[in-house]
Amino acid sequence: MTVVSHREPTGVIAALSGSALHDEPAFTVLDEESKREIRRALLHAVCAPGYQVPFGSREMPVARGWGSGGLQITLAIIGSSDTVKVIDQGDDEGVNAVNLRRLVTASTGCEETTEVSEATVVQTRHRIPEDELTSQHTLVLQVPVPEPLRGIERDMRELSRMHAESDYSRMWVSLYEDKVRNGVITQTTGYPCLVNERYVIATTPIPRWDIPRLHNAEFLSLFGAGREKRVYAIPPHTVVEPLTFEDIPFEIEQNENTHCRLCGSNSSFLVQSPSQDDNWSCSDTAWCRARRTK
Amino acid sequence: MGYAAARGGLNAIINADHLLRTLRDCDHSEPLGADQLTGRLRLLVDRTMGEAGLWAPELAALAIRQAEGDITEAVHLLRSYKSTLPRLATAIPVHSNELSLLRRVVPAFREPGGPQILGRSSDYSARMLNVHEKSVVPEMDPKETAPSTAPRPQVTRLMDTLRDMDLLVDRRNDSDPEPFDITRKPARPPAPRSARLSTMARAETGALINLWYRNILGPDGYLHEVTLGEVRHGELPIRVTHPHTGSAIKIGNFRISEVEAIEDLNGIDEDRTKFDVGIGICFGHNERKAIAMANLDIACHRDNGKTSLEQSILMTTDGLDSAGFLEHLKLPHYVTFRSMMERKMAMRRVSEEQVETKEPA
Repeated sequence: MTVVSHREPTGVIAALSGSALHDEPAFTVLDEESKREIRRALLHAVCAPGYQVPFGSREMPVARGWGSGGLQITLAIIGSSDTVKVIDQGDDEGVNAVNLRRLVTASTGCEETTEVSEATVVQTRHRIPEDELTSQHTLVLQVPVPEPLRGIERDMRELSRMHAESDYSRMWVSLYEDKVRNGVITQTTGYPCLVNERYVIATTPIPRWDIPRLHNAEFLSLFGAGREKRVYAIPPHTVVEPLTFEDIPFEIEQNENTHCRLCGSNSSFLVQSPSQDDNWSCSDTAWCRARRTK
Repeated sequence: MGYAAARGGLNAIINADHLLRTLRDCDHSEPLGADQLTGRLRLLVDRTMGEAGLWAPELAALAIRQAEGDITEAVHLLRSYKSTLPRLATAIPVHSNELSLLRRVVPAFREPGGPQILGRSSDYSARMLNVHEKSVVPEMDPKETAPSTAPRPQVTRLMDTLRDMDLLVDRRNDSDPEPFDITRKPARPPAPRSARLSTMARAETGALINLWYRNILGPDGYLHEVTLGEVRHGELPIRVTHPHTGSAIKIGNFRISEVEAIEDLNGIDEDRTKFDVGIGICFGHNERKAIAMANLDIACHRDNGKTSLEQSILMTTDGLDSAGFLEHLKLPHYVTFRSMMERKMAMRRVSEEQVETKEPA
């Protein structure tokens, strides 16, 4: 039997392990024609904010549901002069973030960073960074379920009619029933928002905390749902309103009597670690670290 | 952190990757050659190619070996490999009447036009685990075996026989639209038949069988049990247009399984004096899949959008979609879970406030 040495990886493995230089793309994940097709779909999405544009989603080296839509968008828009930041749950070190980042950098030759200020493209799952995003940034969100109305209607033919006619009446009824039954609107993450006074979208699931930051933003947000083969967009300076009633204000997650055990913040999105005594910390790890080193 | 077990950044990932490869490649047994997979695990390779939607036996063998025999994983490797390649040419359509038969069974007639060829099939073998079988190469008399494995020429298909007997609803039309390309456009209901057929041809085998059986014993019941006309396995040519001469040239062969499912029409608005037929075709030798597909094809045609059957076929049978989404549940979800807990507390707060206002101190 031949014993193969695994200590010196080559090819794709070497590139992914970081032992190849990032200057030149080591391998291809998506052919150039496909990237062009995705850019065309994205242009369509920007022109019709909130509209779910069908696209010929390709199979990626990551599984469907693991950010294949976000990855296709990032690969389609990024160039070697770009700098990418990738987060999962706000954390640059999350397993999925690490995997996607090394695919992007190794296949495009772009730079990587954990700092928002250095990034031009920020790909994310479930969060928007706490730091302010500006017109230099494009935010790419990984979307598991792009259809905001699926909870109230399963038939896709009916769903497409409802969007086409802006018929969101049943969505309003469901929010009303939720409020009456539970005392509060219990929708947690991925809160439905009306974009540009036209289409209701699913907000990936990012927490409600991040929703106000999509409204009249300086940056372009691109949403990619690889499995369901849809992209949609919120261009800069677009009105984004969470669906709620005049007398029921939209509520973000509350940080009552809590603060980050590392940086002391209570003005960031905090996540809980039940195993710790002082058990809250910032979900955005880069933001938290920067506060501590200032 | 609360997710220490699956966190730890790049080094942990590289180590996991390394462990995966090392334990696989440094097993004490002889390394597997790709030709062993294509030669000895033919049905595994066929099924993988079918679900990948890529005819490439050698690549499929490499994928299966790399994936340690996990078909879904092997299909993933092949499909994402396909994503790296540009599309250089499109094959010229080929009629399945050109099929060179390796196997043909016609359950609907004892003596159909043309032969019944049992061919290479385990259908008629006793399923007894042969624990004593010595791994010796059996002696093969080439004169004896050659005729039974050589492809047979084309024979009339049962659908045409029924048509000649005026027993078949004629659904042929001359418009010849381009087939819907599910790899370039997402298919959603309502979709053309070609979208449904190509979705099923690439579907996960078990998913199609389950969707069929769900309709037999489960709560759905959109379809009948059919009579099978043709169950075929055979070889077809791949032809492309030569870029310089413009003429058709054959660049290779591929194998398919093809099934005709004859449906006994009994609906009020149907021609009850005739039959209709559903078609199932997939890469390689995978009769189970082709039978389920043919049955679902005719069921979906008869359903005509009345139920959600078409949506089930188009949206829920792809192995990579379903497995990927299922497995994404392993990813961290602590941001969304935190938000869910926050709403639980908010609901509790509101109900406590209501209790307080109802019961004056």
